[in-house]
Amino acid sequence: MYKISRVAALIGALLPASVIAQSIEGTVNNSDGEAIIGALIRVEGSTSKTVTDQAGRFVIDNLNAGKNEIHLAVSGYAHLHQDIELAEDDVKTVNLTLSRSPIEVIDIVSTPIHMSVMESAAPVNVIAGETLRRQQAATLGDTLEKLPGVQTNFHGNVASTPIIRGLSGPRVLIAQNGLDVSDVSRVGPDHSVAAESSTSQQIEVLRGPATLFYGSGAIGGVVNVVDGRVPTDSTTRGEWLIENSSVNDQKLGSFNLTTGSDSFGFYADGYWRESDDYEVPVSPESDHDDHDDHDDHDDHDEDHEEHDFVVENSAEESSGFTLGGSYLFDKGYVGVSVEQFNREYGIPGHTHGEEEDDHDHEDEAAEENVFADLEQTKVQILAEYNLDNDWVKQINLRSGFTDYEHAEIEAGETGTLFENETQELKLDIIHSTFSDWNGGVSLHYKNSEVAAQGEEAFTPPSKAQTIALALMEEKHMGDLLLQFGLRVERVTLEASDVLLPTLEAHDHEEETDDHDHDHEDEHDHDEETNITRVFAADHEFTPVSVSAGLVWEFTEGYNLGLSISRSQRAPSASELLSFGPHIGTGSYEVGALFALHQEEDETHIGLTEQNIDLETANNIDLTLRKSQGDLAFVFNVFYNQVDNYYYQADTGLFAESGHDHDHGAEEEADEHSDELPVYIFQTDDVILHGFEAQLAWQATNEFKATVFSDMVRARLKDGGNLPRTPPMRFGTQLSYENQNLSAHLDITRYQEQDKITAAETVTDGYTMVDASISYDIPMFNQDIAVYLEGNNITDTEARVHTSFIKDVAPRPGRNISLGVRGYF
Amino acid sequence: MKKSFQLNLLTVTISSLLLYGCGDAETTIIEKDPIIVIDEDDDHDDHDHDDDDHADDEYTIESMGRLAILSGDSNEAAIVDLDDNELLDTFSLIHDSNSLTASADFRFAIVASRSNDYVGFIDGGMWREDHVAHLHDYEQAPEMNHLELTGSRPTHIVKHDGHTAVFYDGDADTSTPAAVQVLSDTDISTEITDIPTLNYTTNMHGVAEPMGEYLLSTVRRDDAESTSAAKILPDQVAVYHLHDDEYEQEQVLDVLCPDLHGAAQNGHYVMFGCADGILAAHAHDDEYEAEKILNIASLDGLRIGSIYGHEESETFIGVASGHEAGEAILIKIDPENSEMEALEWQPEIDASPVSYAFAYEGEAFLVLDSKGFLNILTAHDHDGEVHWELAGSVDISEEDVSTMPEGMSFSMTVAQNDHYVYVSDPIAQHVLQVHVDDMEIEGDIELDFAPASITWLGIAEEGHEEDHDH
Repeated sequence: MYKISRVAALIGALLPASVIAQSIEGTVNNSDGEAIIGALIRVEGSTSKTVTDQAGRFVIDNLNAGKNEIHLAVSGYAHLHQDIELAEDDVKTVNLTLSRSPIEVIDIVSTPIHMSVMESAAPVNVIAGETLRRQQAATLGDTLEKLPGVQTNFHGNVASTPIIRGLSGPRVLIAQNGLDVSDVSRVGPDHSVAAESSTSQQIEVLRGPATLFYGSGAIGGVVNVVDGRVPTDSTTRGEWLIENSSVNDQKLGSFNLTTGSDSFGFYADGYWRESDDYEVPVSPESDHDDHDDHDDHDDHDEDHEEHDFVVENSAEESSGFTLGGSYLFDKGYVGVSVEQFNREYGIPGHTHGEEEDDHDHEDEAAEENVFADLEQTKVQILAEYNLDNDWVKQINLRSGFTDYEHAEIEAGETGTLFENETQELKLDIIHSTFSDWNGGVSLHYKNSEVAAQGEEAFTPPSKAQTIALALMEEKHMGDLLLQFGLRVERVTLEASDVLLPTLEAHDHEEETDDHDHDHEDEHDHDEETNITRVFAADHEFTPVSVSAGLVWEFTEGYNLGLSISRSQRAPSASELLSFGPHIGTGSYEVGALFALHQEEDETHIGLTEQNIDLETANNIDLTLRKSQGDLAFVFNVFYNQVDNYYYQADTGLFAESGHDHDHGAEEEADEHSDELPVYIFQTDDVILHGFEAQLAWQATNEFKATVFSDMVRARLKDGGNLPRTPPMRFGTQLSYENQNLSAHLDITRYQEQDKITAAETVTDGYTMVDASISYDIPMFNQDIAVYLEGNNITDTEARVHTSFIKDVAPRPGRNISLGVRGYF
Repeated sequence: MKKSFQLNLLTVTISSLLLYGCGDAETTIIEKDPIIVIDEDDDHDDHDHDDDDHADDEYTIESMGRLAILSGDSNEAAIVDLDDNELLDTFSLIHDSNSLTASADFRFAIVASRSNDYVGFIDGGMWREDHVAHLHDYEQAPEMNHLELTGSRPTHIVKHDGHTAVFYDGDADTSTPAAVQVLSDTDISTEITDIPTLNYTTNMHGVAEPMGEYLLSTVRRDDAESTSAAKILPDQVAVYHLHDDEYEQEQVLDVLCPDLHGAAQNGHYVMFGCADGILAAHAHDDEYEAEKILNIASLDGLRIGSIYGHEESETFIGVASGHEAGEAILIKIDPENSEMEALEWQPEIDASPVSYAFAYEGEAFLVLDSKGFLNILTAHDHDGEVHWELAGSVDISEEDVSTMPEGMSFSMTVAQNDHYVYVSDPIAQHVLQVHVDDMEIEGDIELDFAPASITWLGIAEEGHEEDHDH
């Protein structure tokens, strides 16, 4: 258990004895009259904050005369908002009572306006502390998948990205401390996210359009991984963890540490993880994949008991470390951090040809395996300056420089090399409270140069630049909280060499045709001329996003949130400019700059005649919450109409993958094995709607039960489904926590997904059962916890509908992890 | 009251923003020159370089190449696109009296002006890079390169396997010693500053043959020791090895070569012309071995002063001539068997050869003469011996050759990607495209000036017969 009591005691002891000017002092209790220790008290519109001591007491001084809005937050309780009027030289004593909240409420740190699961118009989730440690996985999507409204696109344990309300890829932005993580994970499902959960402090999820805060890439939501790499104080603290998991023999070690002197803060974290191929309860290839050999399959079934099935090439090794330092002064801090992130992982499903019988030739498999070697250096400079003058309350600066490289290595040679170089600057100017309005202006600049070279360089090198100005404001008016925002962006996307090769795409029906004779021979020699057209494409977009929301506490402890937004997004380079085989998605991808043209009998791909336009999401979110008491709930419904939604449409054509086929045994393979279906990005209007529900009941001080469910329906307005839409889910989480012991049992049911596109297959439902138990052993002046976790305890076959490789890589089988973690 | 007013204001603001909220999108697309690729699989079934075909196809360019043409009328050079015979650009040259040749990988036209101590480079705009996963071809507008070499009296420019060696004779009058500089096309394109250089201590009319990081270059000994009749001509050959931009002498070949003039190599042998025969050097273990192939009687007292070689030809062709035009004897030199032999075919008495060259892939030897005939000699194997025989002559000029402008001549250059030779005709002011195998004129590039000399530029393709496993 994370004990902040010592910190609180320390701060309490340091409280000044004399108070000057206006101040508030008081105590914080729970409804049973017990003192609440370690509650954080902040005053809105100023930077004053303090923490209650062991008797629940606090003092805040140096306040302005007039109305002071104070905000109380502590784990396990609902946050409290209270206005306190102060006269000149007034010292007011208040007794505040916090109500218990079975749903954990943690504030989002990276937005200029106040957001939490209970208090904002737009829906958010935050996981932190022990919950985060319990749910953290090697990949980000898998870490967050237990949050309502968030699922993973599970890519064989080695890569995953969160899917928020059915949206992912270029629509969900992954940020680290509020800055773009700057990898290439938005482009391919087999590209890992360059952010690590095991060293993070909290992970924030903004569900639904969040372009307001983060720009174009955030039209479907944002995941922000927060850590303390630039320390904002120098209190010595830290945490470490060692864990071993059975299903893939994963070994994980991680730590983070903050320390420093009066005016300097120092931070370090690091982690190392290594895992083997993971075990699965059944043969990794699913039944409906192979049409030809059903007989073979019966054999497989008989063999079940004897085999230890593994998903080949799903091993991973990663490590990273971060160093940060900051200068702390009265009115803020300025600091810099450097992170080195390394990851090497196999890409399951990234094999070619014979997938039928992988049990008996492991030598060959080793030869053809493709693995990714990812490396990133990330420098962040974070600063905060609290001016507290009449106009400006605070200036907040974040800037980042990242250099990312990711090689896909096949048979010892780099097949494709992806690079991303990004510079980013975010400047938030938070104004002083003005007619009860709190908020600020945010300036944002981002410049990314992305390039890919090699076989899978399906997107030409491009340079994207964003300049944005945003305004966010909120105001409490009695029972009402108003929040609104506006953002205007200028996005330019430049690519000097967009290639349009002559695609030898063909229909599989006309297979008898000899390909050679229908190509024109312009030369006298028997040569076949292929012309690759080259374009310089410059795009300039001006997306504008507006949102307005209100939270109405219609009766004590209950509130109703409404959020309406219109968000625009500039399409990404891969959506516009692609042309080439993408093994990660198993398709030949063609960007929206191009379109199929039909001329008599001939189909060819040329420039599109459509205008390249912005994608616009019109979203309504309605939230009903009960935030206090032994029973709490959050119900969300949303309706999101996205006009001009960029998506990949199947053309029915096939093209050569252009992939190296060094390996033998090709005769056995399907003759189309090196051909990929051609998908073209096109736009249509799309409707997404659904709900998220979460209900928690604190039965006793120790025992808590939570039930949750979520669902999204994603369809084209004119009929038809979107691919890889998460299935409906519901589940329960039971927990027991006392002084030393905590135990959790999570049961989640994933329903069958039968709302599919023509190219997909129905995915069966399954039930995942996870359990964990943790025991605290205080020793060596540390809080040490030993824990045992079990995942997929029933060892069920679970195929993830949202995964591109669901037919070759189901979820891991039963896994037992044993670990020790400590806090100091 | 105040509050509700503010709320109204807010509502108005939001609704007006919603109206404005339809953002703007603008796309500009400019089509550039396409990349044209020929699928090699279709015409050479026996090709077994397998996997990178696909990768290559996307990045390689199929083009006839380009032609650099030095004007005889003015100090200008023109670059012509051979795919459509269009003039791409003309470049004013600093000096007159220039010579023209191509760089080792045929990307650059090298313009040298001996008397002005100047060597300049025009980027022909076509080149190939090896991107490991694939070969990547570029096709860009020609442009003047900023690199200038200013060694004293640049004379013989020799290229081999990616390296161009410029031999500066130096100048006895100013006591400037001779020197050699070696450049790759990449060096030229990056305008390298530290050019690998061999510095001599004395001037000479020499020649250097680049061999990777080695250089076989001539040595002029003290006049007292020298066996040369004309002391400015060297009489020894030494092997130099590159260390940090400087060539250091490693070995002096133990065979003397008095009055050394002319050199050639074919990858195995490096040949130097001497007064008494041919010095043939070849690498053996880490050392170079040399031997002399002595002059034969049919040379009639003349010596071989020019030698031509080709990677794919085992035999060299030497040319012995007096200083008077018209007397040229063509000699086959066979270093394997250490022998030389006069060719059966010899130039006619009144038709003095003006240009010699091996054809693409070395299967033919071309002799262009002053009467306007392109004589094509081909190699035949008789009992294990190579014989060069005349396959035919192409009459490339309908003009009265006696009207040839003063100081000009026909000139030719061999394409390095197909069986074409280009012949320039200063009288008719055009360049003819001749197919070597078919011995036919297939094209004609009209010019509005008299071409003094021409050289082919572009992406050289390796010969197909060659066994290239990669």
